[in-house]
Amino acid sequence: MSQRNRLMVLLAATGMLVSVAAQAQDYPTKPITLIVPWPAGGSTDISMRAIAESASKVLGQPIAVDNKAGGGGTVGPATMAAGAKPDGYTIAQIPITVFRLPLMQEVSWDPAKDFSYIVHLTGYTFGVTTNAESQFKTWQDVVDFAKKNPGKVTYASPGTGTSLHVGMEQIALMAGVKLTQVPFKGGAETNAAVLGQHTMLQADSTGWRPLVDAGKLRLLMVWTGARSPNYPDVPTLKELGYPMIYDSPFGIAGPKGMDPKIVAKLHDAFKKAIEDPAVIATLAKYDMVPNYKNTEDYKKFVVEVTESERKVIDTLGLAKK
Amino acid sequence: MTDQTNVKLRLNNSELWGGLIGLGLGLFVIWSGLKLKLGTINDPGSGYVLFYTGILMCAFAVSITIAAVTEGGPTFASRWQNMRWGKPVLVIVCLAAFAFALEPLGFLLSAIPLMLLLLRVIDPVRWSLAVPLSILAPLGMWWVLKHLLAIQLPSGMFEIG
Amino acid sequence: MDTLVNVAHGLGVALLPINLLYCFIGVFIGTLVGVLPGIGPISAMSLLLPVTLSGTPESGIIMMAGIYYGSMYGGSTTSILVNIPGEAASVVTCIDGHQMAKQGRAGPALGISAFGSFIAGTFSLVALMLVAPSLASVAIAFGPAEYFSLMVLGLVVLTFLTQGSMAKALLMACIGVVLGLVGLDSITAQPRLTFGRIELIDGIGLVPVVMGLFGVAEVLLNTEQAIKRDIIKTKITQLLPSKEDWKASSGPVARGTVLGFFLGILPGGGAVVASFASYALEKRLSKHPERFGHGAIEGVAGPESANNSAAGGAFIPLMTLGIPPNVVMALLLGAFVIHGLQPGPLMISQNPTLFWGIVASMYIGNLMLLVLNLPMIGMWVQLLRLPYNVLFPLIILFTIIGVYCSSNNVFDVHVMIAFGVIGYFMRKLGYEPAPLVLAFVLGPMLENNLRKSLILSQGDLMTFVERPISAICLAFALVLLVGPLLPSLRKKREMVALDEGA
Repeated sequence: MSQRNRLMVLLAATGMLVSVAAQAQDYPTKPITLIVPWPAGGSTDISMRAIAESASKVLGQPIAVDNKAGGGGTVGPATMAAGAKPDGYTIAQIPITVFRLPLMQEVSWDPAKDFSYIVHLTGYTFGVTTNAESQFKTWQDVVDFAKKNPGKVTYASPGTGTSLHVGMEQIALMAGVKLTQVPFKGGAETNAAVLGQHTMLQADSTGWRPLVDAGKLRLLMVWTGARSPNYPDVPTLKELGYPMIYDSPFGIAGPKGMDPKIVAKLHDAFKKAIEDPAVIATLAKYDMVPNYKNTEDYKKFVVEVTESERKVIDTLGLAKK
Repeated sequence: MTDQTNVKLRLNNSELWGGLIGLGLGLFVIWSGLKLKLGTINDPGSGYVLFYTGILMCAFAVSITIAAVTEGGPTFASRWQNMRWGKPVLVIVCLAAFAFALEPLGFLLSAIPLMLLLLRVIDPVRWSLAVPLSILAPLGMWWVLKHLLAIQLPSGMFEIG
Repeated sequence: MDTLVNVAHGLGVALLPINLLYCFIGVFIGTLVGVLPGIGPISAMSLLLPVTLSGTPESGIIMMAGIYYGSMYGGSTTSILVNIPGEAASVVTCIDGHQMAKQGRAGPALGISAFGSFIAGTFSLVALMLVAPSLASVAIAFGPAEYFSLMVLGLVVLTFLTQGSMAKALLMACIGVVLGLVGLDSITAQPRLTFGRIELIDGIGLVPVVMGLFGVAEVLLNTEQAIKRDIIKTKITQLLPSKEDWKASSGPVARGTVLGFFLGILPGGGAVVASFASYALEKRLSKHPERFGHGAIEGVAGPESANNSAAGGAFIPLMTLGIPPNVVMALLLGAFVIHGLQPGPLMISQNPTLFWGIVASMYIGNLMLLVLNLPMIGMWVQLLRLPYNVLFPLIILFTIIGVYCSSNNVFDVHVMIAFGVIGYFMRKLGYEPAPLVLAFVLGPMLENNLRKSLILSQGDLMTFVERPISAICLAFALVLLVGPLLPSLRKKREMVALDEGA
């Protein structure tokens, strides 16, 4: 359609009332905003950009990524829950902190009620790194040092209540040491913190990979079930004697009350996206694999995760009073 | 503004009121900070910085107020002397009306009357210029945004625009 | 020698016709979105990202980069012409730039910012080529304590932005910090000062605050003046900077360029701090600081060069560490990754063609921008010939659209109008908006880094003095703060203040 024809059609349509049903039918008619609650440039940000890019081809409208970092990845979804219209033009990545933080403190959202869950996408590979020049060669070095100097070992996490924070506290509890968490907003910031030796350790998802490959950072452990094929020499949590696996799977959701038809359209588009070889290749750069769950399974999963998190939080003594 | 009349402890001293408003805001910020919890110095809470900023605000506001009392300051009247104070008020009223109309009426239906009002009420522009300008400017901007930059301005309940 | 070979190689890539075309499209779109306040490079780049995927990675990234530095050129135009800063980095350009326009010197102001931008852009590229890898350490040398002290220094700088009372400026700065903290706490996700309003959860936007305090307030102030109907004196003497202008500006441009480049390397508010710092520096060095705020060309030349060279510096952490210092760089990072490249310490050695090609194309893009922008100055100046009663409704329309586009949110239009009214009363009572805006930008970073450094140091305040970079920043801040209190300097300040009152 030429520019001129489009204008004519628009003029003709002016003044006509468009019904709600037709809106769901035509959806999407304008660019969609995808809130990524992490600073730009981390593993979540880049993987979500790749997924969004592929999904936008299916939807026929651009998806603009909006980085709203803070609060361990809850500021973005909380903002969406508070103010966005459930018209499908605002959606957000939902990190696990959205379920976990309400168990730890007063928050402005209710994970069970305030979101329309759309589709579950993938999970992370987490790891603990230290600067290549650091005295710590292995995780045992860290434990030994921490035993002698309680609270002196600092680690950069992507925020209070994130899996990295909770996981590190669990490890510290089992190892019988005290570590000090410094909450940053996400991977790009924790990379800089450990590179500049402002913190001794970094606990974050695979955003550290190019720096580890370049020999600037040393990877001490990974939190996956099996060793990473990219780093066959790096032990897992289990091998180090901490029987845990953390992958913090995540998906996307919109504000509560979205039209099921719109949810279905988004679901289909994002499902295609994580099947796209180009996206799988980008995810693989960060040691991530697609982990698809449809809308219904995702909803069930949210309930399960909330329950299992409740137990962990209670044992750590982090539960809200 | 050489003809400013300076007054000391008088209620129409504008400096005094500026200081007092600042003090009030400062106290409010301190109170908000306390309510949000200060935390400890090892782990400062959400209200930590607000609390101390509030204290600084009060300090600066008090120094402004003291200066206003001891050195005096210009009166409100002198600050608006020789000024058509009614004009900015009119602009503000137009903008406020526009702000309330924007969401329900949409951009085009609210911006065109706003432009017409501003062009005719403050320093009247001749009708033959005011009318086309107030229609073409918003319409042109709307078209460029919608078709070149894919930005949708609010269309309101009549779905115009 | 290696560098020269690489540069030649890069030029070979950049001069391919297809890449020249992409480069031109990029800088052209950049100029457009830069001129429109509120519509920054981010939305344009997000929308065009899919387009770039069809070509080679070089072409795509050349175009994206073109949009970015192109928008930096355009940013000052509305600041100078109508006192609307399109972005935080050009707030400071308003102070003297708009005064110059009022005196009929919009041409030289626009001209010097175009030339200053070109010089700064060129310098920062040469620096990027020569020292990029060795400067990577600068970006990571700044931890929470260093950032905190840098922010303190930034806030102290604002005392140089005022002509009137220091207490008022500092009060405004505090209010700016508080306004910046509205919304969810970045560490605990608790809502702060939101008064139960859901719109405030996200915090107050920078664009509506800046456009209200500057653009709308300026219109309100102008409409109340009965006698001077045409705010801008119609006699426009020259379009380009004269010999004297150049003489006055050469120092500021050079200093602004160096300052901007180094501050630009730092992730977070680099460009903003750079533009304010350059202004303060020029005012401090000037033999006639009283001219600042009344249309001093140095006050335009320095900050404009600084914020453009900061744009070049910003590439260093991205290219060498894979750490994007701002959202625009993050978009570029996204583009790299989607094209199958991973910026990081290994990128320059693994993909030399790409790196040097991009750098060379940026040099060409800068040249294109200068050629594109200089003829437009005449057109912009003509705009000021419009009588004010026709111009001001257009300015208002412009601000409304700009604010709406920046967030797609009607609430922000309300915020802008409210800040317009607040700004009007502030200016009437002698409170200046620039310190508030600077503090608004720096406040949240100040808070976040203060809290992190206290956690890191276990509550030990000595950390700020013990760490060398932090100590240097604080020492500078102290000198700047105490300086004006010394008797000889104080006299100078008061003269400035008197001059303002007259």
